This record gives sequence, C-alpha cells and structure tokens, in this order.
Amino acid sequence: MKFLWLAWKDLLLIARDKKAFLTLILMPLLLIAILGSALGNMMKEDEDISIKKFTLGVVNLDQGQLSKVLTEEVFSKSLSKQIQVKYYQEDELNKKIKDHKLTVGIIIQDDFTASLMSGEETKVKLLSVPDTVINATIVQNVIEQFSRSIPIEAVVSQMAQPVQTGNQGGIMQEGYGKKPLLNETTIDAKTKPVSSFQYYAAAMGVMFLLMTVVQGVSTMILEKEQDVFNRLLLTNLTYPNYLLGKMLGLMIICLLQVFIIIVGTSLIFGVDWGSSVSGIVIMTFAFVVNASGLGVLAGSFIKTEKSFNVAGMFGTQIMAALGGSMVPLYVFPNWVVFITKFLPNGLALQTYLDLMSGATVSKILPAIAGSIGLGLFFFAIGLIRLSWERRGKYA
Amino acid sequence: MNMLTVQDLRKIFGKFEAVKGVSFAVEKGESYGLLGPNGAGKSTTINMITGLFPPTSGEIHIKDIDVVKNQKQAQKWIGVVPQEIALYQSMSARENLKFWGRMYDLSGSALEKSVDQVLEIIGLSERAKDKVETFSGGMKRRVNIGAAILHKPELLIMDEPTVGIDPQSRNHILETVKRLNNEGMTIIYTSHYMEEVEYLCERIGIVDHGELIASGTLSELRETIGDHSKIILAMDKERFNPEQITESLTTFFSDKDFQIQDQQVMVFHKEPQLILTDFIQSVTKTGAKITSVDIVEPNLESVFLHLTGRNLRD
Repeated sequence: MKFLWLAWKDLLLIARDKKAFLTLILMPLLLIAILGSALGNMMKEDEDISIKKFTLGVVNLDQGQLSKVLTEEVFSKSLSKQIQVKYYQEDELNKKIKDHKLTVGIIIQDDFTASLMSGEETKVKLLSVPDTVINATIVQNVIEQFSRSIPIEAVVSQMAQPVQTGNQGGIMQEGYGKKPLLNETTIDAKTKPVSSFQYYAAAMGVMFLLMTVVQGVSTMILEKEQDVFNRLLLTNLTYPNYLLGKMLGLMIICLLQVFIIIVGTSLIFGVDWGSSVSGIVIMTFAFVVNASGLGVLAGSFIKTEKSFNVAGMFGTQIMAALGGSMVPLYVFPNWVVFITKFLPNGLALQTYLDLMSGATVSKILPAIAGSIGLGLFFFAIGLIRLSWERRGKYA
Repeated sequence: MNMLTVQDLRKIFGKFEAVKGVSFAVEKGESYGLLGPNGAGKSTTINMITGLFPPTSGEIHIKDIDVVKNQKQAQKWIGVVPQEIALYQSMSARENLKFWGRMYDLSGSALEKSVDQVLEIIGLSERAKDKVETFSGGMKRRVNIGAAILHKPELLIMDEPTVGIDPQSRNHILETVKRLNNEGMTIIYTSHYMEEVEYLCERIGIVDHGELIASGTLSELRETIGDHSKIILAMDKERFNPEQITESLTTFFSDKDFQIQDQQVMVFHKEPQLILTDFIQSVTKTGAKITSVDIVEPNLESVFLHLTGRNLRD
C-alpha cells in the first residue's frame, strides 16, 4: 500500500507547485479560450464562405439512364462551377479516398435506375474523409434532391422517350412515394463528419497531456538528483511499489487534466466528443495508462533533469507533430498514420476522432486494449531498468 | 555481539577502485567514526553497507543478515542520514516525517506518536507545521536526521550530517547523536571534521584512497604518532626566509621533528614546554617576525598527517 502514499505525496507536491498547477489547470483553460477565438472564427467562415470547387469521384455500376442524368447532367453540367466529376473503378476510388487524394466520392449501385423507377430502395454509397463536411453535405443534398424529383422527372421522361431500366414494362409501381426512393450511405452508415474544432480540441488535449506527463516525470528525475530517490530505496519501499506509486500519481493528474479539457470544451464551446460517454471515459483511461507508462519508463532511464529537459522538449514536440496535434492526420501517408498508433497520443487522437464520428465502445476495443497494453509494457520495461540499474553499476 | 561486520569490501567503478578491501566491525551500542578527506571512499562504503548498491566483492552483515543477499531484511534494522538533504521542501516538517514513517511501515497512532517524539528529539516541535523550505540549513539537517530515526533503528548510519551548517545547529546535532547513542542506538558517523568524530566516537577508522589505514580508540590512534604535541609559530611574510630557518633549526632538531609550511614553522615534541624557548630563539635569530605561537595536543589531524603526509582538509 506504500505506493498509494507515494502517489498522494506527489499530488500534494503538484498542488503546492504553482508552476505545475498552472500547467495543469490554467493552460487547458487557456487552450480552450484560444480554440474558441481562433477556430471559432474559422468555423463561422466554414459556414459563410463560398465553396471552393472540388472533385467528386464517381463509380457508376449502373447501366441505366438515371445514373447518367445524375452524374452528367446534374453534377457535371449543372454544378460545374462547384464540382468536377471524375470516373473511377471501385477499388481505385476507395484507394483515392483512403489516401485523401479525393475528399468525396460516390458509388452508384447497378440497380440504381431500376430501383428508382420501381420505387424500391437503392443505395448510393457516399465516401468522404473527415474534415470535409461541407463537400460531403453538398453531394448528399444533391442526391437527396435528385431522388425526390425522380417521380416527376421519370414521368416526364417516360412520356418523352422510353427509359432503359431493365424493367421496361413498369414505370411506377404501387406504393411508390410511400417509401424513400434512395438511401445514401457514407463509408460507415453511422459515421459523422468531424469538424475542425472537434479535431483540434482532441489534438490539443492529447498534446497537453503529454506536457503534463513531462512535468510529472521531471519531478521524478528531480527526486533522483536530490537523493530522495536513494532515501526511498533505503526504506521498505520496493521497486514495483515505487514505480506503481509514481505511475498512479501521474495518472490521477492526467485524468484530472483530460477531464477539464473535455468538460471545458463541451460546456463552453459545445464540442461534441461523441455520443459514447463510456467510450470517452474508457479511452481516456487507456490513453492515460499508456502516456503515464511511457513517462515512468523515461523517468527510470534518465538520471538528470538537465538531460530530461532537452529530451522531454524534443520528444513532446516530435510526438505531437507525428501524432496529428499540429497538422491533421490525413496529410500523412497511410503507413505513417499506422505507425503513429504506437504513440500514446497518436492512438488516442485517432480513437477520439472515431468516437466523435459516432464509433461505439465495441469498435474502439482494439485501441483500448492496445493503449493499456503499451502502457503496461512501458511500465514493465521501466521496472526491469530500475532493478538492473541497482544490480549493475549505479554510483 | 557485532551489530555490523564488514569484510574485505571492494567497489570498482569502471577502472577506478573506490574501496579497496575495507574490513571493520561495530559492536552493538557502540559509536564508530569513519574519518577521512573528501573522496576517500567513506560514502561509497556507507552506500554499500546500507544496500544502496552492491559491492564488487566482500561481505557485509548487519546482525546476522547478509546485506547483499537480503537487502530489504537488513534495511529494517538501519536508519540512514544521507549527506544531502533528502526531504520534500514544499512539505512541512510533520508532513515529511509522516511520509517517511509510512515508508517504514508505520501507521495510525504509532506513526503519530513516533513523529511527535522525533520532533521533540530534533527540537522542532514548535515549527512542525512550517514548510521545510522555510527552514535554515541547520534545521533542515535536523529534519533529515529525524526522518531516519522514526522507525527506531538499532543502527544509525550518518553520512557527514553537519556539512555546511552553523555552529549552534551543529552542536544540537552532536548532542542529539550523543543522546541516541546513550539510549543504546549503534552509530556509524562519517565526517571529515575530526573534532566531531573525537567528540562522538568510541572507536575511529581512518579512510584514505579507499583504504582503512588505521582503526582504534582515540588514544590508540594517538599512540601511532608517539603522543607528540605540536608547536606552531606563525610568521610575518616580509621577513620569512625558509632556508635560513631550516639551517637554524637543524642545530637543535632532526629533520623529522619540524616542518615548514606557508608562513608556519611546526615542531613535534612529547614535552613542548622544554623546547619552546630554544625553538623561538632559533627562528627569531634569522630575522623572522613571529605573529603567533600555538601548542596543539596530539589529535586525529596530526594522526592523519602522520599516516598520510597530508592534512585532512587538503
């Protein structure tokens, strides 16, 4: 139980350290204010500014007329000032979207015309990348509008010329108009686009937590320099107890800070962290375990505060940059995004974005397990390092 | 019964041999001093005894417990006062003591009682609620000692506990150590202040360059230099001529019996009052002007000088 007293002592010291307390409490609040003033304006601009022309990727599996009308007449001609249409194979489009080479794409199913004409359900698959909510919304609205106008258009067309549908006989069946003629789906039917504000609230949040970990670890190293660590080792305290106490103290501080950031951005700026409260809570805990584990690992290796200050500063900046806290993750190639999942902040940010997009706990379970697993792995390495250090050459 | 037994203790860091086969034993209730200049190997020896790091070779037993093999078991019997102030500065004296008490498995009323007793012993009951960072160096040193005796150890190991403090605090600490020893606590006291070791310790080990070069009671150590006192004449710089003084002194004394250092001339003799007049006349006839005369009884400083050819604080 000595680790509990060690953690309590660390919390007491942090509470009395004005500089650390400011970093913990005031800086996140300041961050929220900066986000509010900077990104808040950006969000307003997002709503008001004229839309830049963008490319819509199209996979047309349908041989009927209506898909041609939608793509050629509606998107290519009527919306030519806003949209440029390019045609792809399905795999090619998926890859383009995945690589963020395209922001929006649609896949028109082979029964598109027939289903519309017969009043049955059909699907246009809408693919989009996060943070391009406006482009996706435009495409979605155009398709919805098109589907609603089909009954009229179809009748007019039928009267003017035969429509090739595969069901030449029937124009409309009974019940037409009672059912929706068209269902759009995005990549995931439950996925919601993530706004800039949401993205940076999460990105800055994870970056600040890294800074808090650095702050906590520097006190751990200071203990080594001031002989307090040696004195602790001369008591009945064991290495596992020592490291557990350090990690627990760090985790409590980090949890407090993340709580302030999440609640602060939610209440003050209405940032939507997703509908899964349990997902946010569990992922936050997992992230804190991961980051704290990495922290105590660093603390077990580094002996002087001077060398840690350099390593801590560079390490935090590099991790923040790679983890997506400075520039959005989608500008990185896929393999970089994958690798950043091994960074506590990278994995946490990607999972927070998933939660904001509507993911449930079950979907983020691998991320939770990975995060906690990495944290425990870091802890174990730190423990081995401390034990080895004593047996070896400590002077 | 031995409280501590150290046998052929060695510690090598890379190519540097910090401790070279040190052996000594301390009996229960005894106060043992380790005297030596800075860098002599005292702290390294202490760190191995406390189990902070393992020896390269050799054996350490506290009571019958092998410190190398059963470090945590042995540490229950010892309290360690480190050379540095190893306390949390933004916590009060009481908070510090309570924290360290908990690290020694104390809790509840036993912890409260022990903290109160220790605060009384170190004379800080009235400042118990003040943060350590507001204390003077001497007061911090007292809390540093307090944190080591909360669990009532049988062996108290103190590594230079009076470095850099005022005389009043130093006296208080020395009295505290004396009191603890009188109450039955075994003490190992390292210092490069010979007067502290002389005052506190029944037996003394002199350490230099990683070796224990002498060990015994104060009188036993004095005997190694033949119980000679030292007469020191301090000179005025302007008319000080070492060659002429050497020539003059050799008419009365052998080369071994006198030393000239800086503007001081020293003569060693069992009965200094018998040679004082001749000594002064020999020096003054060279034209030198004497500014002070001092007669020093044989002490650890002269023992160390005799054994190593250097002063303790060189």
